[in-house]
Amino acid sequence: MKKLIALVIAIGFLEMILPSDSLAIPSFARKYGFNCNMCHTSYTKLNDFGQRFRDNGYQIPGQQGKEKNVFEGGPPVAFRTTFGYTAYKSDEGTASGFTLNGLDLLSAGVLHKNISFLLIYTPRIDVPSGSYLGTDSLNSNISQEGSLESVNLIFSNIIRDVLNIRIGRFEPGYHSFSSKRSYYLIQPYEVYNMTTPNNSYTFDDNQIGIEASGHFRFGFKYAAGFINGNGGNPDNNNYKDVYLNVMQTIGKGDGQSAGQRIGLFIYSGWQPMTLPGTVIGPTGSTNGTGNKAFYRYGATGSFNWQTLNLQIMYMKGTDDKAFNTMEPTMKYNYSGGFVELDYAGMLNNRLVASAIYNWITPPSYDSGREINAYSVLLRYYLGHWSAVNIAMHMEYTNRVTGVENKSNENMFLLGLDFAM
Amino acid sequence: MKKLKFLIVFFLILIPCLLSGQNHAVKAITTVNAHSLGPQKLDNLPPVIAPLNNPQTTLKIQLGKQLYFDTRLSKDNTISCATCHNPAMGWSDAGPTSSGINGQKGGRRAPPVSNAAYAPLQFWDGRAPTLEEQAKGPVANPIEMGNTHESMLRTVQDIPGYVKEFEQVFGTSVVTVDLVAEAIAAFERTIVTTDSPFDRYVRGDDQALTKLEKQGLEIFNGKGHCTACHWGGYFSDGRFHNLGVNPTDPSNPDLGRFVVTKDSADLGAFKTPTIRDVALRAPYMHNGSEKTLEDVVDLYNKGGRTGDPNISPLILPLGLTKGEKKALVAFMTTAMTSLNPEVANVKPIPASELPK
Repeated sequence: MKKLIALVIAIGFLEMILPSDSLAIPSFARKYGFNCNMCHTSYTKLNDFGQRFRDNGYQIPGQQGKEKNVFEGGPPVAFRTTFGYTAYKSDEGTASGFTLNGLDLLSAGVLHKNISFLLIYTPRIDVPSGSYLGTDSLNSNISQEGSLESVNLIFSNIIRDVLNIRIGRFEPGYHSFSSKRSYYLIQPYEVYNMTTPNNSYTFDDNQIGIEASGHFRFGFKYAAGFINGNGGNPDNNNYKDVYLNVMQTIGKGDGQSAGQRIGLFIYSGWQPMTLPGTVIGPTGSTNGTGNKAFYRYGATGSFNWQTLNLQIMYMKGTDDKAFNTMEPTMKYNYSGGFVELDYAGMLNNRLVASAIYNWITPPSYDSGREINAYSVLLRYYLGHWSAVNIAMHMEYTNRVTGVENKSNENMFLLGLDFAM
Repeated sequence: MKKLKFLIVFFLILIPCLLSGQNHAVKAITTVNAHSLGPQKLDNLPPVIAPLNNPQTTLKIQLGKQLYFDTRLSKDNTISCATCHNPAMGWSDAGPTSSGINGQKGGRRAPPVSNAAYAPLQFWDGRAPTLEEQAKGPVANPIEMGNTHESMLRTVQDIPGYVKEFEQVFGTSVVTVDLVAEAIAAFERTIVTTDSPFDRYVRGDDQALTKLEKQGLEIFNGKGHCTACHWGGYFSDGRFHNLGVNPTDPSNPDLGRFVVTKDSADLGAFKTPTIRDVALRAPYMHNGSEKTLEDVVDLYNKGGRTGDPNISPLILPLGLTKGEKKALVAFMTTAMTSLNPEVANVKPIPASELPK
């Protein structure tokens, strides 16, 4: 029985944390004939070139209008999947087995000069060949929920590099470190996934709205957005959330793989106290009432030396006391972050070693949400000069949740992560 | 189950589409102006396509070759095209920049003539749209051949052997600048290097490259970011980039492509040269400021030598290790050097064998 409980917890946990819309877009490599490591330090993490390529609307920086668009090349379609052997041990027991972690379909490309698109779809898969979720109310066996994780248009270089606009559902620019392009497969950025009482907002979610971003020659970058703040769901109130992320890189590079980058970000959001609302709009939205504010803000740093990259993020969250069902007279305040050290070695960065520490410090009256997680990984890439797109992946995490009633989990994954 | 079937069918349809799409793209690239469509996979060179108004003929190529090696086209009979575009020096010269009549030094080194047929624009700053236009330039450049077109034409017109050949090739005994340029360009279109170890490797000879060279190729196309500009069969995008190269004279920097376009984005930008046969033509960059290929790799690895505010956004520190640099240099040194006898064995035509 203990094993069964452990298995259910493990699968549920994996499903929750496995990146459902991880990005690596081999259709670009095919389009240009580039090796993956043109844009990635090692797939999936972007290097400076890849970051500039993304910031430039999936056009080679400075070369917009001088390359094939989607009508002149092959279909801009790619997919990514991961599978392997997972072992899980908690206070409840142990569980292990082969796991197939779904499928991402990706499409992106240039439609016209300075107009491009990105689409990521995770299809619903009913047969339990992947991360089995169990029997749902319709008595079907779902192994992957269907979701349009990203679909957006990018209008680039509206004012040189200084103003680009992204519209649709997208990975918001307040993520100085992309969880979608993290090397880790079972360990998320915990603080991105932190949910607070009575507030459905999650920092990690892709959001629907509009974002302006740009960068300047002296190393300054910004992203500012105006979004629903309700993930992929219809908005639940008539207030919109706003955010700003500013970053400065010192030295040559963009701070991904060269240069030293520091940043500050703030997110200001609203969530209704009363749901559902009384007005059903054409988008299916409801005008929830009694909107109350919440904030996320913090600092980031990305420091590079040779092929070592140290990423640090510290975030604080504050929710209006109206959200706080645990201590209604107080605002809900918490903090968290992570420190990640990545090393890329061997020829063409075929070996990646990484360690990360994640923490969340909730208010003392909610210590069950406290998390301390230590993870390490090794990845080795197979391939040759035209592509290194198969990663042999080994990852271990020790995760302790809570203070008084500690839950200690150990997870191990040995798998393959590939895209084509 | 229905959806699984749908997915299987979807992929069965999708994969051939992906493959066929690639093939169509490649076919399209080789039959239209390859460089307008942006980066393409490293590959063999496609056949040279001569312009419709200057088709290749054997006699024209032979005439062009004679003119190419003939110093009489210069003002003082000392400089020919081959003086600066020397076959023995990778169709460039010893540098760092080129020398013209009376030992005058130019500000730039001679770009290689080999494979120049594939360049969409000629000269380091791209001021000539064709090889024909390019061929007219140096004759009348006061630092290079120091002549005038009129004087050069009088010289050629006074050589009966040339007049006879022009009549055979072009059907007229009246020599013009355009005809001289067409003949030289026709010869230059034969200087194509297609038999490097890389070419043989791409054609399927797995032994053509050493292990180190294969590693270098992977770096070239990956972490080294070389193929961001040095792509396709020509190993060049034919475009213009500011690489943060040390200027020859910091107080009077070469403005590069800007002189042609007057676009501030082109300040200090120069044309991407081909990597083919690169080991034969040190020193490097438009001004010969990098002595060896190791120095060139070091320049890129550091993200440029200068803090030029106009540096290309493609130029970023690379984080290459010693081993990766070594592999990259090995690839460029041996794997990219062609053994084409028809090109490698081109010898200057002795003055005694030129038309009289």
